[in-house]
Formats: sequence, C-alpha cells, structure tokens
Amino acid sequence: MRRFVAAYGTALAGLAIFVFLLLVARNFATAANLLNVLKHTSFLAILSVGFTFALITAELDLSFAGLCSLAAVVTGGLVHGGTYWPLAVATGLAIGIAGGLLNGILVTRLKVPSLIATLGTASIATGLAFMITRGVAFVGRWDDEFLALARGKVAGIPTLTLFMAAVVGLGWLVTRHSRLGIHMIATGEAEEEARRAGVATRRMKVIGLTVSGAMAGVAAVLLVANLSSAAPQMAGDYLLNAIAAVLLGMTMFEPGRPNVAGSFTGALIIAMLANGLVLMGAPYYIQDIMLGVIVIGSVSVSASVLKKAAFSI
Amino acid sequence: MTAILSVKGAVKTFGAVEALRGVDLRIAPGEIHAVCGDNGAGKSTLIKLVSGVEQPDAGTIRLRGEPIAFASPHQALEAGIATIYQDLGLAPRMTIYQNIFMGSELERRLLGLKYLDKLAMREESRAWLDRLGIDVTSVDTPVENLSGGQRQAVAICRALRWNAEVIIMDEPTAALGVRETEHVLDLIRMLKQQGTTVVVVSHNMTHVAALADRATILRSGRTQTELSLDGVTPETLSRLILSGAAA
Repeated sequence: MRRFVAAYGTALAGLAIFVFLLLVARNFATAANLLNVLKHTSFLAILSVGFTFALITAELDLSFAGLCSLAAVVTGGLVHGGTYWPLAVATGLAIGIAGGLLNGILVTRLKVPSLIATLGTASIATGLAFMITRGVAFVGRWDDEFLALARGKVAGIPTLTLFMAAVVGLGWLVTRHSRLGIHMIATGEAEEEARRAGVATRRMKVIGLTVSGAMAGVAAVLLVANLSSAAPQMAGDYLLNAIAAVLLGMTMFEPGRPNVAGSFTGALIIAMLANGLVLMGAPYYIQDIMLGVIVIGSVSVSASVLKKAAFSI
Repeated sequence: MTAILSVKGAVKTFGAVEALRGVDLRIAPGEIHAVCGDNGAGKSTLIKLVSGVEQPDAGTIRLRGEPIAFASPHQALEAGIATIYQDLGLAPRMTIYQNIFMGSELERRLLGLKYLDKLAMREESRAWLDRLGIDVTSVDTPVENLSGGQRQAVAICRALRWNAEVIIMDEPTAALGVRETEHVLDLIRMLKQQGTTVVVVSHNMTHVAALADRATILRSGRTQTELSLDGVTPETLSRLILSGAAA
C-alpha cells in the first residue's frame, strides 16, 4: 500500500485536480481549452524530457531555456530572411545539440560543476539571442509548410501532440529498456561504482546533457512555428516550469529518481494547473508561487518520505 | 604446483613512498589464499597490481604461467580476475539484478533494435543467487534493503558472471555482525567448493585461520612468509605478523 501511494500518489492527485477543474473551473472542460492545455504541455513535456536525461546522470542543466531561445531566434531569423525552412530547422536543432555538447564537455573534461557550467552557457545563449535580434522580435508571414510543423494535424491529431508523443515515447523506451538508459541511470545513482563496472560514465553525462540541448532545439523550432515569431526571451518561462515538472515527476513511478513518465505527467499537471488558475481568475503571480511550492515540495518529499516508503518491503 | 596467479619481485612506489619493495605471491588453483599484514605492509597496493588498478614499477605478474600486464581493471576482469572491494561497488538504489549485470547487461534484438532482456537477467540472477544459497524475495529488491551478507553475495554473483577464475576479496568481513560474518565465510567456502580460487585480504586472524588454506604475510612492502595454515592458530598468525619472525 505504501509503495502504491509512493509510486502513484502524485499522479492520482493530478487526476483529482483534473476532475476538480472539469467540475469547477468555467470553460476548462471545453474542447478548445483542453486542446490549449495539451499544446502548452507539448513544449513543456519536450523540454522536461530533455532535462530528465541530464538529471538522470546526476547533472543539472540550467541552460536549456536559454539555448531554446537562442535556437528559436536563429531559426526564426533564417525563416524570416527567406532561408529554405528545412535548413533553418536543421540550424535550430544543431544549435541545441551543440550547446548541450558544450555543456557535456565543460562538465566532463574541464570538470566545471554542471550548475556553474550551464548557468554560464545559459547567460551566453541569452546574450547571443539579444545580439542576433538586436532586442526585438522576428515577426512575419512565414512559409506555411514551416508553420504547419506546429499548427498542422495528422489524422486529426495536432502535430505538436505527435511530436510530444514521439519524444516522450522514445525517451521512455531509451531510459527503461536500453543499455544506454540503464548505464545513464547507473551513472546518476553511483558514478564511481558504475565506472568500475565498465560503464562509460563520462560519455553518459555528455549524452544526458546533449539530449537536453537537443530537446531545447526541438522545442525552439516548434515554438517559433507555433507563434510565427521569434523573440530573444521566448523560452524563459519554461526554465522553472520544466524543472518543476521533472522534480514533480520524481515523486512518481520511480520515486526519488528522475524518470520520463513522471516528467511527462508532471508537465501535464503543471500545464493544467496554470490553465485552471487563470480560468478561475487567480492573478498571474500565483503561478510563480505555485511553481516554487512544487519545486521545494517535490524535492523534500521525494528525498525523504517517498523514497523510504517505496523501497521498504 | 603451477600457480594460477603469481607475482614475483613486485616493486611499486608512490612519490617518495615505497609501497612495495619486492613482493612475491603464489596462488594455487582452487585454494583460499589469505594476504595478511599490518597496516602499511602493502596489502592494498599488491591487490591493486593484480586487479589492474595500478601497474608495477618492476616485477612480473603471471596468470596460469603467462606474463600479463593489465592496463585497467576491466582487462583484469576479462582475463578472469575479479576484485571485490570493501565497498562492494554496488549501486544501493538499483535492484539486485541491475547490480549483478551492471556494465554487462543482456540484450535481445527486435527488428534489428537492441533492448534489455530483463527476463533473462532476472532468471539468471536468481540462478546465481541459488548457487550461493541466497534466498531473496525478489531480484527486483534494491540492494540497499539487503543485509551485509546478501550484498556481498550480489557482488560475488557479478564477479562469477564474468567467469572469474580468481576472486579477490578485500576485507570481506569488515563491518559485519557475527551472523553476517559467518554467512560470508560460508559463501567463500562455497566458492572454493565450486572451483573458484579466492584471495582474501583480511585483518582478522581468526577468520583467516578458519578459512584459508595458505597465507602470504607481508611486512614493510616485502613478502615475509608464505605458509600453509594447517593447524596454525590465530595467535601464531598474529605473532608472525607482529614479530616478523619466519615460520
């Protein structure tokens, strides 16, 4: 029983909040609004899965939002300037991957703690984003094919949802069912022991941070296509939202350990709460307070109570 | 007797410290061999040489008579020498089977894609534990929930999975209670029965006398004595280590 609560308690609480909002919040239960929640969840979930990969190897990535903004303005700028859009998309993705790889090299080769290294790259990325845009946003009537990346539908399902499903599904498969995944987990759980057992722990950390950067690139392309504009701070809010989603996720399924299913559910809960609070007339600053409470609450719970409950037999 | 593992004239210095100044070691196949000595005698350094963690400055290491040089612990492992350190090298929050297979996971292929064969790893883990007479409710139990003896068994299972012919155990009974200690000693005897050669580094002369067939006593970085332990009491052993007198 205790193990069940530890593993599924937060997800059940999320379900309860969903039902509560369905019943209480005006306009929450409309198709348009639920689709809106799903859309917001898509960006958040993609970034959260990236952050999860870094955190699984016990490294922080505070740069994914900055990298996402940088990749977004570069992609947007290129499309805006008339570059063939697949090339612009590839450039955006490449910036995310390169940023993540840089973080990985800083952490594993130059031994800069990830907290510091990624804080630095975040600031550099943000600065570059302002430099490229000169502080303003790229807005325009862009190629429909490009915009369809985020606005289109396939078989009635929004492409954003499909991208999210692909990222979450692949992330889950890799972390739960591949040698790469178990090696990343072993790296995060017991780096020295894993290294002695033949796990390439430094490579695992580089991969974790690179995936986080790559997901920032993916989210950037989709954000730009969705909004048909690109601004230098456009992904800033996602930093704490995604971190909160992942930490909340650590209270679920594999308590005490970052996990993709938890991060996805966490993203869903946070997007839903944010939307519900707005609909119920809560002032905007409530969301900041909520995120802070989630971040602190999740960590204190998953670090102590849940872990003990989950692993006591 | 052909030694399965032997060291001759091993010298190793760390800066100004001469950790080993000419150590000989001969391990016979299938025996339990104790390496004893006071703190600073060179036990740890000797173990690091044969397990590939450090390389000797001089001297030779032979495995089944062939000279060998290990560049890394992994090479020693692949040659059949597994070392279990005092900390056991386990990830506490990972499960029994994940620890046994850490770094050498089993995989299957589906449409050309490789994925973890968890079923096979669970079954094989169960079989290894059975061989050592270890009874656990589930191989999905995190290692941190196991007793000291059970953890030792998990570490041994991992070594056995590498087809280790020689298992080196560093202070296997340190920090264990009386009952757990008995359990670990039984595990080591069982390994011997099943044909594995065991090298035990230990401070505890009672355990050494009760367990080992032969012992090598180190003193100040040199091999002082190698002796058979038939009828040797713990007191005699302690005296040998402290006095430096030859047997």
